[in-house]
Amino acid sequence: MNDIVLRAVTKTYPRKGKEPVRAVDNLDLTIPEGGIFGLLGPNGAGKTTIIKMICGLILPDSGEVRIGDIDVNRQRRQAMGRIGVVLEGTRNIYWRLSPWENLMYFARLKGIPGRQVAGRAERLLSELDLWDRRKEKVRTFSRGMQQKVAIACALIGDPDIILLDEPTLGLDVQASRIVQEWVFRLGREQGKTVILTTHQLPVAQQLCTRIAIIREGRVIANEPTAKLLKRFEDDYYKIRLQGPLPEALAARLGPFTAHYEDGQTILTGHLHDGLELYPLLEKYRAAGLPLISVSRNEEDLEDIFIRLVETHP
Amino acid sequence: MTALLLPIYNEVRKGLLLIWDYKFSMLLQIVTFGMVFLGITFMMGNGEFIPARVASAMIGYMIWFLATLAINDMSWNLQQEAQTGTLEQMFMTVAPTGAIVLGRVLARFIFSIVTVGSTSLLVVVLVKPPLIFPAGALVPLLLTLLGLFGFGYLVAGATLVFKQVGSLASIMVNMLLFLNGSLLPVERMPEGLATFARLLPTTEGIIVLRRMMIDGASVSQVWSDGGLEPLIIHSLVLVGVGLAAFGWCERLARRKGTLGQY
Repeated sequence: MNDIVLRAVTKTYPRKGKEPVRAVDNLDLTIPEGGIFGLLGPNGAGKTTIIKMICGLILPDSGEVRIGDIDVNRQRRQAMGRIGVVLEGTRNIYWRLSPWENLMYFARLKGIPGRQVAGRAERLLSELDLWDRRKEKVRTFSRGMQQKVAIACALIGDPDIILLDEPTLGLDVQASRIVQEWVFRLGREQGKTVILTTHQLPVAQQLCTRIAIIREGRVIANEPTAKLLKRFEDDYYKIRLQGPLPEALAARLGPFTAHYEDGQTILTGHLHDGLELYPLLEKYRAAGLPLISVSRNEEDLEDIFIRLVETHP
Repeated sequence: MTALLLPIYNEVRKGLLLIWDYKFSMLLQIVTFGMVFLGITFMMGNGEFIPARVASAMIGYMIWFLATLAINDMSWNLQQEAQTGTLEQMFMTVAPTGAIVLGRVLARFIFSIVTVGSTSLLVVVLVKPPLIFPAGALVPLLLTLLGLFGFGYLVAGATLVFKQVGSLASIMVNMLLFLNGSLLPVERMPEGLATFARLLPTTEGIIVLRRMMIDGASVSQVWSDGGLEPLIIHSLVLVGVGLAAFGWCERLARRKGTLGQY
């Protein structure tokens, strides 16, 4: 097994004159081999710390990080041979070098002589539509092209694990789509393990085979994407009523929240059983509120994310 | 062996490519370096070039320049790489990071040796200082460079942990110019200051190089009269301390999570 396993990992950052920040809190997380694993969470949730612990840039205070049999912090070089990383930000590569020079440099950093990867470099640059500009300095490229070079550099050593921290951040629609296509190919078609952090939840929903949501350094959800979406799709209802809700009813909404909009009261909430709707509707009928519609919502990842992050204890 | 040589070669190659990309500013640096040296020696000679003084100052100044690059490269450049985001890549490699740092300093040394060499040639042609260039002088030169590598590791480690060490490095570089015997030989310094000066990197190297390149002493002579021992000890201690400090600082930076911060 080549799963990535974080076991009882804690990381705290001291701050001068302030309480230390616990970025990762006794975290247990298993990232299965193969597929695209989405690591989602609000800012400061600990995603980047987790990514950097997997690639050995940050040592945990306690706990262990393993890739299969390899302890990342004790056998760092072995681990690094298997990992390709694109960290958040625009400059994972040397802007004053050409794409070709960058690729050769990063191949050698992974212990592979340039001549051994020339063919692979040519293929990567061609597939990423950069071959004709392989000799130009990266600083003259657009943000999207620079990101493509960064991805090519992360892939030059043919790693089986690829860590992508916000890879589509700041990209235009076209460049973002190309990056997404590559992520899809790597994780879904080539069977590599891709770990992806992003704030663009539709991107995560579309790409990820499995998603973990992190809040305050803890995992609050970790499921296959389809299962996560399904778990929330069948118990979320929206009821539209004509007119404002009487105070007596407004005070006893139960699992629902209400807001008034364009002369309508819109109630949204979760029920474990759809049969629970009937007594509710009966109450509204008795209050003289005409029913406009009842619908079961199919939530997208963004709704689920917000619900989980805001309501998880 | 390849595990060590490949990253060193990689860094040297990348370093030279980056230097080539800044070729115009590097050329200006060479010109400035030569002009400053000629200006200093002109002033030291009260308006004329005194070949004997130029010879003495030349050895010190050239070694000081090598030290400057080693120190600056390990402070400003690492800081700059942290800012631009490429520094963390250096720590995600299968190679020992010590070998990467070595390659980086080596690339700078290659450039600085070109600078020092071309300036020296110009000075020799123009001023004709009474200098000899015995092959044996390579021994103290390499030992001095070894010590500088050690000091480079020390500065690199400090940069990883304390980040803003650039200003401190500037102070160090300027202090070296006045205290390592570049301009004023250590023998002419007050006793306390001379003792302190001998603790600094490059000082012992300059003393031995002057003996060989000006006084004409051979390697066996400086070895037999004990002149080489302080340099050997100094360089080995610097390398040992530098490597140990770098390893410790790297681990501390990983623990603090500050490798990529600036």
